[in-house]
Amino acid sequence: MSLLDFGIIAARVLLPALILPGIVIPLVWVERRGAGLIQDRPGPNRVGPMGLLQSPVDVLKLFMKEPVMPAAADSFLYTLAPAIAVFAALATFAVIPYGATLEVGGRTIPLIGADLNIGILYIFAMTSLSVYAIVLAGWSANNKYSLMGGIRSSAQIISYELAMTTAAAGVILAASSFRLNDVVAMQEGTWLSFVPRWNVFPQFLGFLIFFVAAFAETNRIPFDLPEAESELVAGYHTEYSAMRFGSYFLAEYVNIMVASALAVTLYLGGWTLPGFHPQGILGTLISIAIFAGKTAFLVWVFVWVRWTLPRFRYDQLMSLGWKVLLPLALVNIFLQAALALGTGVYR
Amino acid sequence: MTGSAMVFYAAAVLTVVFAAVMVVHRNPVKSTLALVVSFFGLAICYVLLSAPLIAVLQVIVYAGAILVLFLFVLMLLNLREEPAPPGSSRPIQTVLSGVAIVSFAGLMLGLIRASGDPAAGADPQPLTDIARVSRLLFSDYLLPFEAVSVLLLAALVGAFVLVYSEKRA
Repeated sequence: MSLLDFGIIAARVLLPALILPGIVIPLVWVERRGAGLIQDRPGPNRVGPMGLLQSPVDVLKLFMKEPVMPAAADSFLYTLAPAIAVFAALATFAVIPYGATLEVGGRTIPLIGADLNIGILYIFAMTSLSVYAIVLAGWSANNKYSLMGGIRSSAQIISYELAMTTAAAGVILAASSFRLNDVVAMQEGTWLSFVPRWNVFPQFLGFLIFFVAAFAETNRIPFDLPEAESELVAGYHTEYSAMRFGSYFLAEYVNIMVASALAVTLYLGGWTLPGFHPQGILGTLISIAIFAGKTAFLVWVFVWVRWTLPRFRYDQLMSLGWKVLLPLALVNIFLQAALALGTGVYR
Repeated sequence: MTGSAMVFYAAAVLTVVFAAVMVVHRNPVKSTLALVVSFFGLAICYVLLSAPLIAVLQVIVYAGAILVLFLFVLMLLNLREEPAPPGSSRPIQTVLSGVAIVSFAGLMLGLIRASGDPAAGADPQPLTDIARVSRLLFSDYLLPFEAVSVLLLAALVGAFVLVYSEKRA
């Protein structure tokens, strides 16, 4: 392997991992201004034009603050937990294709970190690890509110992961592959020459279950029980301060972007668009823009929902996951199997 | 030493050391976490054996689900570190466990030596292809597969009955 090949692989893997945390800064601004928009108030508007510099300044503040650790905390696990949160959030993106194959100077460069033939399973393995970041934070801080948050989160994430995986099984069935590139490829083109062949149309139920479960997996309102401020102070990260707290903040927003990117790849056609055939470098850039645009829309839905819905009660959360989403996801599998075998909907 | 051999030894040491930590650590939560790390090392070994599917399933099922449930229960019970047992020298137990360890190690070594070259009898097509695994599961191994499903269902119903009868009483 030449040095250039090595550099290309490193760029494929590292660029998204560096860009995603970078996007978090404007994303926080979007969230706060969006909150202002929805609640009919200005939102941050003092630092820089339209408050744009508020988030960079906040990041600087988080870096400069003194990290305070409770005396009774388990120092090793307390320090390790935020690192796991960021790792799990970033590692998930590795198998998501974010653009058309780039062809430069006789080389074909697939725009994906690692084109695993078990890509979807890899994603579920990584998201199932993110629970440790929260559980460890809750336990190691030696605070009852943190512990309650950690316990809630472990139950919540396991419950909703089940519904999420089962919903995604419908897509796996339709694509007959676990490789995310195949999932994107099967969504190219149109039905009846005007409906895009996106999985969201035949699998709207599956998309709904997947997206709802994604809210629970990222601990966002209406499922932010692990950090429910009104009852648990700040839940699992009550005792965290400075950049350690910032790491959880970062991980939450990266998780939102990765969950949206995954929903786009599985249900909304990934980087494809009907009638668009990427050619050359420009085509690749446009495909990345399409992917980013679709993802940005879903990220906005996350913000929108957060400032629209109230929080669930814990027993409501559990019964929704187990008694509604999971049975519906099982029904979805049967529907998709019938569609795949009985009709020509899927190629 | 090649790159993959280096990764293998690192992962193998990780697996064994943290398995030992799991056994000897007095804090149950940390014991569980050591087991998580050990399972991770094992998953890396599976990847090196070109069985990424098994590796990922290992992480999803054991590290991601079962051990999280362990942690959940341990944290609910709020167990603290076990105190060292009083009169910590137990000569008979020490000798017996030493004998057990040595004989088990000898047995494993003997088995590994007797089995010869592991590559000789290996499947020419390793089970990296998930479609092939699924086909095998639903053809040659259909009966054991369904039997395991029924077993799991029975365990589920059993748990339900236990909880439900307690609730009614």
